[in-house]
Amino acid sequence: MGTREYVIKRAAICVTTIFTIIVVNFFLFRVMPANPVDMMINPLLGREAARPEIREALIRSLGLDKPLWIQFIVYLREILSGKFGVSFAAHRPVLEMIAERFVNTLVLMVTGNILSILLAVMLGVVAAWKRGGLADISSLISALTLSSMPMFWVGGIIILIFSVHLDWFPMFGTTTLGMSHPNTLSYIYDYLNHLFLPMITMTLVSFGGLFLIMRNALLDVFSEDYILTARAAGLNNRTIIFNNALRNAMLPLVTIVAIRLGFMIGGSLLTETVFSWPGLGLTIYQAVNARDYPLLQGAFLIITTLVVLSNFVAEMIYGYIDPRIRSGITKG
Amino acid sequence: MSMSRFTLYKKRLKNFFTQFIESKSGVIGLFILLFFVFISVFANYLSDYPIKATQGDLTARFKPPSMKHWLGTDDVGRDLLTLIMYGGRISLLIGFMAAAISGGIGTAVGLLAGYFGGWKEEILMRVTDIILVIPGLPLMIVLAAVLGTSFWNIIFVISIIGWTGTARVVRAQVLSLKERPFIESVKAIGAGDGRIIGLHLLPNVFPLIVAQMVLRIGISILSEASLSFLGLGDPMSVSWGMILHWAFSTGALSSNYWWFIIPPGICITLVALGFTFVGYALDQVVNPRIRRR
Repeated sequence: MGTREYVIKRAAICVTTIFTIIVVNFFLFRVMPANPVDMMINPLLGREAARPEIREALIRSLGLDKPLWIQFIVYLREILSGKFGVSFAAHRPVLEMIAERFVNTLVLMVTGNILSILLAVMLGVVAAWKRGGLADISSLISALTLSSMPMFWVGGIIILIFSVHLDWFPMFGTTTLGMSHPNTLSYIYDYLNHLFLPMITMTLVSFGGLFLIMRNALLDVFSEDYILTARAAGLNNRTIIFNNALRNAMLPLVTIVAIRLGFMIGGSLLTETVFSWPGLGLTIYQAVNARDYPLLQGAFLIITTLVVLSNFVAEMIYGYIDPRIRSGITKG
Repeated sequence: MSMSRFTLYKKRLKNFFTQFIESKSGVIGLFILLFFVFISVFANYLSDYPIKATQGDLTARFKPPSMKHWLGTDDVGRDLLTLIMYGGRISLLIGFMAAAISGGIGTAVGLLAGYFGGWKEEILMRVTDIILVIPGLPLMIVLAAVLGTSFWNIIFVISIIGWTGTARVVRAQVLSLKERPFIESVKAIGAGDGRIIGLHLLPNVFPLIVAQMVLRIGISILSEASLSFLGLGDPMSVSWGMILHWAFSTGALSSNYWWFIIPPGICITLVALGFTFVGYALDQVVNPRIRRR
């Protein structure tokens, strides 16, 4: 399989996946037990809106009287032109609300997960270098325990300790409520101060899985012939680890991050909810509680599409770094 | 024939058991699980306190741990230790059910894809890949929000995203079994597809499926906790996640009612860890890909 076929095949799979998600998203919100019109009327206007003429008008304006396939085409056209509908609760375009909150999620996910990856790589090296040693066993147990904890509960415990008990960091939000910032620096300080606890939570909830994968990758690398040769040749451990082992273990990191992206999104969603951190996850939580279906549908579609696209990008990067992948030598 | 098969299984079981108890973490996990199963099953004998919200003692809300209430009381004055013991029933039950259903779906998909191959395999594995790439929690949230929150819906939602791992493991194993001589010989005798799958492939992949399912129970319990925390649990059934939902939503965090928050989380963690330990230990014994390592 040549490079070009590899790219085409991956792209085709990526497009199919996104299309499937769009189709599922469309039908999911139309087959649900409650009628979409009832769901729109009730939260919007209260009981009086159950008047038949308002119902009729709404059904027509939403195009719900048309055949399903026409509805689907309309829906597809709207999505492609960036219209994700209007939120019931906030009466604002969904895309606008999501765009506004995207940055916060990005900041939380990137900082938290970078810390987590660094930690996983460091401990992974120590653990895999002496398999079965004290460091290996203890980090293995911590990783397994951490990934057995409910993520939102980890956030709760962190709040309990560092916010309620010690009062070192604020509990929720991105900035102090009602505080006016004299300059950008003070704003940034306030933001970072609020970021700290959610970031640590994110780091902890991501760590378990990342460590286990990293340790496995390093165990594989350490048992390779060239490492044994390097050891036999009397190179010192540091040189072997940094020049040979880490470089090769870094290779799968791209895929690991891509594979775990969906998981990280889940972690971010729960962390944001616990800390009222206004990102995409909190948006989903609020949409669920307000039964704000357009917002929920839009946020879900955008998140899943982003994950699928990042997976595609990761596959491309991986194929570029490691030619074995794109030539199909290591299949499966 | 049936006799020799019986003795064969008996011997395998004995082998399996001696290998399993070699794993220290597996045994520890098993004891953790037995403990929690015990207190959940016998909750009604172990405690006299009621668990209905209306039967709480409103004069004793948010009381810290004492001799009377070992783990304190909740927002409507119910005994938290009692709630936790009963909560174990629901959490474990949802975990078992969801793992069983996702195990069933995964087994069916894996067997069919692996055995038949061709376009059937292509379609089944594409569907698996698609579900695998969609972020699990957001998908569960959307499904739960759309379907409505009930005991069975929660189980359905957790199962529908949880079968992909089993499907892949089973398929890989079937692909290698298919090439073995014994499958070829039963085919030569003229055994039908159903017979080969049910009588020859399934028994051989069954241990793998059990290991996958055990690992899945812990994950399902965690998923249920997350859904409940987000307000998508069944309010009629007290699970550990539901207790935590009540704790978080009644402001137990900012009021420092730590006894309302810490114990249910520890229970979830220990049980999830127990299933992980047991699942890994089982996998070590039965999974030919891991055993060699």
